[in-house]
Amino acid sequence: MRVIMIGAHPDDSEYYAGGTVAMWAEAGVQVQIVAVTNGDAGHQSEGGGALARRRAAESRKSARILGVSWRTLDIRDGGVVPSIECREAVIRAIREWKADLVISHRPNDYHPDHRYTGQLMQDAAYLVSVPNICPDTPRLDHNPVFLFFLDEFKKPLHFRPDVAVDVTRGMDKKWRSMDAMDSQMYEWIPWMDERLKEVPRGKAERLEWLKNYLAPTFTRWTDMIRGALAERYGDIRAGQVEYAEAFELCEYGRQPSREELWELFPK
Amino acid sequence: MKGNPFVRAVLVLTVSIAVLAIAGRAPAAPPDQPLRVIMIGAHPDDCEFMGGGTAALWAKAGAKVQFVAVTNGDAGHQSQGGGALARRRAAEARRSAEYLGVDWITLDFHDGELVPSLEARKAVIRAIRRWQADIVFSPRPYDYHPDHRYTGQIVQDAAYMVAVPNVCPDTPRLEKNPVFMYFNDGFTKPYPFTPDVVVDVDPVMELKWQSIHSMESQMYEWIPWLDGTLSEVPASPAERLAWLKKSVGGWIGGWAGTHRKLLAERYGEAQAAGVKFAEAFELCEYGRQPGRDELWAIFPK
Repeated sequence: MRVIMIGAHPDDSEYYAGGTVAMWAEAGVQVQIVAVTNGDAGHQSEGGGALARRRAAESRKSARILGVSWRTLDIRDGGVVPSIECREAVIRAIREWKADLVISHRPNDYHPDHRYTGQLMQDAAYLVSVPNICPDTPRLDHNPVFLFFLDEFKKPLHFRPDVAVDVTRGMDKKWRSMDAMDSQMYEWIPWMDERLKEVPRGKAERLEWLKNYLAPTFTRWTDMIRGALAERYGDIRAGQVEYAEAFELCEYGRQPSREELWELFPK
Repeated sequence: MKGNPFVRAVLVLTVSIAVLAIAGRAPAAPPDQPLRVIMIGAHPDDCEFMGGGTAALWAKAGAKVQFVAVTNGDAGHQSQGGGALARRRAAEARRSAEYLGVDWITLDFHDGELVPSLEARKAVIRAIRRWQADIVFSPRPYDYHPDHRYTGQIVQDAAYMVAVPNVCPDTPRLEKNPVFMYFNDGFTKPYPFTPDVVVDVDPVMELKWQSIHSMESQMYEWIPWLDGTLSEVPASPAERLAWLKKSVGGWIGGWAGTHRKLLAERYGEAQAAGVKFAEAFELCEYGRQPGRDELWAIFPK
């Protein structure tokens, strides 16, 4: 099976789905993480091409930890729009990876780049199989399954966890994949959050700090989807899961049955 | 030099820059500073209709309010148009803003041509930053006019980005993501407008009427022409105002009834029952998320 994860920025796919990615890779699934933007605005004191290169290097390191491929479509950070140009770049990426499964943001997430990346993925669904669209890149002879990452927004619709994954086994790699992104985890995100002063200097202390910093969010997600976990894993195990990730099926791609969908995901 | 407004402005600017340099950050409104409100409508007259009463109450209470018309309104007339109409509407909107005690600007996009482009987004980001807004208003992305929907989308897209320094680096970022609110509308798909706060605007309703009345090109020419009621419009200003209250009073007077339950929660049953004119607003998920008590405390009462 071949999976492509289309995040808006270098770090989005890792953050929303790094555990599932690590478990897939261990099971021999071919996964590519795509950052639609190069992330060149995501820092308080750096920016532009220099920052984009730094983030690409971090992302490649992170992808090696997860055991996956990585690329960026090199659109400027903060510049994703649902244009034909952006859509064609996404269509080509999905085709080049010969993806069976495509995952991106819902068009309701908090950042405009996330929302428009989600819209671009939706707009690429179906068209990936139309030969006269991007005729330079062979079409897919099947419409892949399209899914969305989890988010906490409610309008106009709540996120619906169609498949939940207990990522306990993938969590160590997920933490380390994020730890590889110094510019984000230890500089930009805590700066925006007014918590930069807390960040320790030592390598081991930093990772420990990162885990404490992000644990409340990841726990909240897990609690949000405990019902879906119970359906897939049973009540007892679902109650014990520390960290989970979940995905919602997009209506525009192939529509597998629940059983088939659950088979596609690691367990 | 005494009393020269230009010199005063330069001095104030210099002091702000000095403070900014010392603190290393844009001056956020400390608790003793007035609340800064920006209402972003698609056309000159949208903010006045949807939030004019709340703006007037805020202005009376010392808040700093700016109305932004994203388009200059240059298509809103049956026989006039272009730059001449845009200038006429700007003059009307400035007069209207004086009644309410608010500031007014336009981002000067063409009426009927607004799209959610990066150019429009950046213009909105800069406007929000320049006003150093604590709270931002816009239509929902589901209102009837495409300019309204895209104004809603553009303002949503400015949320969070107003705090990112590498976006529009020419204009200092806001340290905090403001609270974003939607104006009331009657649309139900994909989900109906859901009010989080409602304001009794009866105490300032005469000011709101005067502000709308100032927009002659709209109230007594374009809107009645579109409605097929142009022949009913009286000639004298006093009769016109009375006619205006009758013709649009039903529409904007309906909001108090629609939101009576929330009015009762905020003002008590007795006061709520007597409210004739109210304005309602919904919290957008993309800005800062205050709790209901904090949100209600921000709004005039």
